[in-house]
Amino acid sequence: MTRQKVKMVFIENESARKSTYKKRKRGILKKAKELATLCGVPVGVIIDSPYDSSMEVWPSRVDMDDVVSQWQRLPEMDRTKKMLNQKTYLEQRITKGTEALNKQNKENKELEMKEIMFDCLSGKIAPSSIDRNDLVGCSNVIDQYLRILKRRMEILSKNDGASSSSAHAAATTSAAMPIVEMGSSSTAFCDMIRQQQMQNNLNHAVMDLDLD
Amino acid sequence: MEENMERNMERNMKRKSRGRQKIEMVKMKNESNLQVTFSKRRSGLFKKASELNTLCGADIAIIVFSPGGKVYSFGHPNVDTMVNRFKNINQPFPNPNNNMRLSEVQPHTFNLQMNDVLTQVMNDTEIAKKKSEEIRKKRKNSKRPENWWENPVEEFDLAQTQEIFVKVENLKKVVADEASKNFQVFPHPNFCVGSSSGALFRDGGYINPNLDQYEQRRMFNVNAYYNQNMYPPIYQLPYGNNSYAGGYVPDQYNLNFMHAFNQYQNQNQNLGFKDEGIPENERHQDGHPPHF
Repeated sequence: MTRQKVKMVFIENESARKSTYKKRKRGILKKAKELATLCGVPVGVIIDSPYDSSMEVWPSRVDMDDVVSQWQRLPEMDRTKKMLNQKTYLEQRITKGTEALNKQNKENKELEMKEIMFDCLSGKIAPSSIDRNDLVGCSNVIDQYLRILKRRMEILSKNDGASSSSAHAAATTSAAMPIVEMGSSSTAFCDMIRQQQMQNNLNHAVMDLDLD
Repeated sequence: MEENMERNMERNMKRKSRGRQKIEMVKMKNESNLQVTFSKRRSGLFKKASELNTLCGADIAIIVFSPGGKVYSFGHPNVDTMVNRFKNINQPFPNPNNNMRLSEVQPHTFNLQMNDVLTQVMNDTEIAKKKSEEIRKKRKNSKRPENWWENPVEEFDLAQTQEIFVKVENLKKVVADEASKNFQVFPHPNFCVGSSSGALFRDGGYINPNLDQYEQRRMFNVNAYYNQNMYPPIYQLPYGNNSYAGGYVPDQYNLNFMHAFNQYQNQNQNLGFKDEGIPENERHQDGHPPHF
């Protein structure tokens, strides 16, 4: 059963706050102990609050003294390199979280574009119905897919040593054809399209031959 | 084919991680596991400390030494202050927090804002992950066996790969065509209206003074996924739009369509983007739109 998600906000209700404090303090000390034991490392915890008459120290004041001594013996740079406070800690988590979020969104977008591509190929939708804003994303995915297919053809052509040279030529011509760049000038663009078309016609002609 | 299916089944049944397992409270034996455990648990401990401070307003400091001897610390207000407080623990001076009344405990404002932001990010991530699952599920459910090209490319033979390659290339051209239709294309000042296809631009072409040049150029940037300033086409191509009747599966994209389009393009050699007013060094360099 999932428990209720706690809002990361200061608890206004004093008694609720106090009881939360007691439980969580107990939990932190337990986790600190486990970390120290499982990994065999020195750990020290200090908690200061209005809910306790004196500061809470773990493992014990003596042991904490040792930890602090060890800590202070380190050069300042080593001490501060991984030192965090609430502000820096939260900043770190926000940064990492945002990176992960952006990565996931990008991945989702790619998946959606792939769907659109496959739907176009199978005739389920018409390219003219692709949302304007998706056109660039779509063409990126298409380019990606073309690269994968090209690589596949190169691999197969290499392995398929026994196959006829015509089929090989067709494959390598397609592979060698430059993929049309969106940024090229319009005449160059058209020239390239015409070139590709001619090659395609050639490929079609070749594939019509009985290659075996 | 069958081998693939077997492997898939195995992958689905195998657990990704060992899950919740009861562990002995003794120092771990496996060196690399110990490192991983240290990393994860230290991270979790700091998270708990941050939460304790946010929720209850308690001051806290944690100092941890790594198996390699490096030190990690977390502290609110900061580690040094807390260490000093600890060192003075036996001093007659009362501890600041112990004399505070519960009602006086106040959270820092930045703490609230940042936690809000963090919560938002975490929620959005969860939503994005669910969406990812949805998309994948949808793909799995709508997969049809006759659409062999939707399978992994590794399963294609040479002929199939070539066939699909051609179809995808054709699709690419059509998509590029669609993209160009969505650009605001207006003629270069030197454009001569002479051919019949120039009729489309007879009113001097539609010149939109509000058009953002940089947005247009950015359209060619292959990394741009979303462009808010795209204007709808204000002209129709002379041979109309191809439309696909529901259920009609084209064998190949209509190459005649592209042929006519190419001829049309050739006649309008002077098409270009108006780039007046933008100094050379300020022009966006990625993927220049055609201009003469």
